[in-house]
Amino acid sequence: MPQNEYIELHTKRHGRRLDYEERKRKKEGRLPHEMAEKAKKLRGIKAKIYNKKRHSEKIQMKKTIKMHEERKTKQKASDTDSKYGNPTYLLERENQIRAKILSNTIKQKRKEKAGKWDVPIPKVKGVSEAEVFKVVKTGKTKRKAWKRMVTKVTFVGDGFTRKPVKFERFIRPMGLRFKKANVTHPELKASFFLPILGVKKNPSSAMYTSLGVITKGTIIEVNISELGLVTHAGKVVWGKYAQVTNNPENDGCINAVLLV
Amino acid sequence: MAHVVKHITVVPSYKARTISDFVDIVLSRTQRKTPTVIHKHYKISRIRDFYMRKVKYTQQTFHDKLTLIISEFPIISNLHPFYATLMNVLYNTDHYKLALGGINKARQLIDDCAKDHVKLLKYGDSLYRCKCLKRAALGRMVTILKGQAKNLLYLEEIRQHINRLPTIDPNTRTLLITGFPNVGKSSFINKISRADVEVQPYAFTTKSLYVGHTDYKYLRWQVIDTPGILDHPIEERNSIEMQAVAALIHIRAVVLHIVDISEQCGHTLEEQLALYRNIKPSFSNRPIIIVINKIDVIKPEELPEEKKKVIAEFQAEGEPVLEMSTLTEEGVMAVKIEACERLLTFRVEQKMKTNKVANVANRLHVAVPKKRDDKERPPVVIKKKQAMVIDGESRKLERDIEQEMGDDYILDLRKTWMLQNEDEKYDVIPEIWHGKNVADYIDPGIMESLKALEEEEEARDNAHYYSMDESEEDEETREMRKVARKIREKRTILTIESGEKRRVEKSRMPRPVKRSRSVAQLEKDLDEMGVEIPKNADSHYVRAKSRSSSRPKSRSSSRPPLKRARDQSEGAVTRSKSRPPRDRSGLRDNAMIRKVKKMAKKAQKPRNHQAKKGEGDRVILNMKPKHLFSGKRKAGKTDRR
Repeated sequence: MPQNEYIELHTKRHGRRLDYEERKRKKEGRLPHEMAEKAKKLRGIKAKIYNKKRHSEKIQMKKTIKMHEERKTKQKASDTDSKYGNPTYLLERENQIRAKILSNTIKQKRKEKAGKWDVPIPKVKGVSEAEVFKVVKTGKTKRKAWKRMVTKVTFVGDGFTRKPVKFERFIRPMGLRFKKANVTHPELKASFFLPILGVKKNPSSAMYTSLGVITKGTIIEVNISELGLVTHAGKVVWGKYAQVTNNPENDGCINAVLLV
Repeated sequence: MAHVVKHITVVPSYKARTISDFVDIVLSRTQRKTPTVIHKHYKISRIRDFYMRKVKYTQQTFHDKLTLIISEFPIISNLHPFYATLMNVLYNTDHYKLALGGINKARQLIDDCAKDHVKLLKYGDSLYRCKCLKRAALGRMVTILKGQAKNLLYLEEIRQHINRLPTIDPNTRTLLITGFPNVGKSSFINKISRADVEVQPYAFTTKSLYVGHTDYKYLRWQVIDTPGILDHPIEERNSIEMQAVAALIHIRAVVLHIVDISEQCGHTLEEQLALYRNIKPSFSNRPIIIVINKIDVIKPEELPEEKKKVIAEFQAEGEPVLEMSTLTEEGVMAVKIEACERLLTFRVEQKMKTNKVANVANRLHVAVPKKRDDKERPPVVIKKKQAMVIDGESRKLERDIEQEMGDDYILDLRKTWMLQNEDEKYDVIPEIWHGKNVADYIDPGIMESLKALEEEEEARDNAHYYSMDESEEDEETREMRKVARKIREKRTILTIESGEKRRVEKSRMPRPVKRSRSVAQLEKDLDEMGVEIPKNADSHYVRAKSRSSSRPKSRSSSRPPLKRARDQSEGAVTRSKSRPPRDRSGLRDNAMIRKVKKMAKKAQKPRNHQAKKGEGDRVILNMKPKHLFSGKRKAGKTDRR
């Protein structure tokens, strides 16, 4: 006990007051009422935070109670491990477990049956040009409207140089250029921050592909040499495709799933 | 440690352990301190600014909080080596540094994250997009902090522990107590200081450093009690022992090595000697005292021969060996004094060795006067008369008298009274005289004041104060007085008159002047001239009747008035008595009055609807009628709800 713990020292020497336990019990008994009162009174963001906390606490409590109850109740030992197996009249009872396995296998088969180019997001909502491009007015009197600025995230290769102002029809702003993406390997269940090599296809439009616009569902090529994957022949794979799963312009980052 | 490390603020945990966790603090602060209302039809630059401000504000709050943590925790390399070692022993320096480093890194990452998202927000083209970006930014910051959850917990624990470390000043005069566990170190510190260290009959009762303070030679001395040390290599020592070692190595103090002579601590004297030899190198260059404790159990002389040898070996170490018993307090003070003395001399010596002393010492010079001659000049002390000798034999006390007389004794206090007339001593003094309390009228200084009064009186008498007489005033003076009075009166009259003259004359309402001519006068005059006046009504001498309605009817005859009565506007004549009531003033006759009344009634009608007395009644009875101030104001007028 360090020198400054006066309270503990005092309790050790003189004990607690006689009604300590009683008071403690009462205080604990009062606690739910006080919490309810507080929950009623709170407003706004505080109420939200408090209720969320309370909710998670309750879930936790229920889980623990359930766990304790499970420990108490006797569980039926599975009959299948008996020597002779179940009698015929009981065979149907294990259907429940079978069903699950069945569904799993069906899922597996379906997966295998699907094509090699099956992508995580098969249907992509189209993105209109009005959404992607913003008209930039030019000219002395701002009458000309042939210039466009891309408002989505783009990938621009290293060697790109902008055209002269007079000929530059599409502007891809520096702030929206991305070079790296968070790529999840679906089998490894791990994600990596990998450099982008290029935009393979933007399903909305071929022009977007050529401009390097990255929207949800776009297939991009990423450099996976870090991962150290090897082909059957023994070569190191370094480029692989991945599909973008989020709206990069809204999230400020590109999340993608590797297409294996 | 409080003087080394200033107050460290509480490190909030990442989440959900206490109410005040980090994320909630920061996010709710953002919510409170930044504007919250935005609409999508606002100008886009305004929307962008709104969200950028949120992101920047959150980042700044995180930044400030983390900076506070980083700056407030002590940097180990800047601490006194004693504290550095102590912190290493208690908290593990590597872990500590890693934790602070992690916090630093998190701060940097949060800054970068905010920068990126603010950059992206500049391209936001809709409220939805800006909002999503803000949400992503805050989420990322929180995630970064989540990585530091364990570090935050660790730092909070350290903070609490640091605050409770005793305040040890490594540079002051210090007595350091060491020895095996359970040899009586804590009892010793309890004896010489006010520290309240727990003493129990088992080893390692003291698990941390304790500090007490004691006085010697009007100086303050710090006493440090250390946990017991076992005799094994330093690698095997646990953290409790290591605290003691840290203190031993780094604190410049006199070391009191306590040895249990009775061996009740469970270690033989030989073992204790071995320990002493083992740890002695760590406190080299410091005064050491070996203290043999528990001599109340067994005296050193009573020891068997082989034990005596060990004691002799202790003595052969070259350090003073003292004996004491913390139980009977025998020799405790001697140990303290010896230790303090040794440390004091040691510190002075140390100081003398430094260069700084030379600078001062050069300038110091103690002048010793040369001897003039060989004459002896002893100090002369003048013998004074002894003042406190009581002359005369001692007075006989009441007590002695009482003992002599026994039961016949009556307490007589009056005999010691000191009065002017000795025979008044036993006079009876009533308490109440003529219904008055005598004590109220006793004035001890009455004789003096009376005397003073008499003297004053005499002095006045001598100065012929009372001899001035009325009769001495002669005729001349009386005359003079009379004239003076007259002059005074005249002067007052003159002042008043001149005041009257100089006053600005205000227009005044003239008083009704008594008419100079009257009927009686006329009659008299005419009578003198011999003219008969006919006394009938046709003559014009009778006073005309006024037509004013206010006149009592009794006087008026049936005749209609010849002249219209004068009214207020016509002349300056005041007629406050005869003035008609206000509601009838300016009205010719009853018909007119009736007409006017009717008109007034008609005019009052709309006011009556509003329950007003008249046009002067502007009272608003209900300033805030409920129905006009409750509920929502929709489209429509202000006074319709």
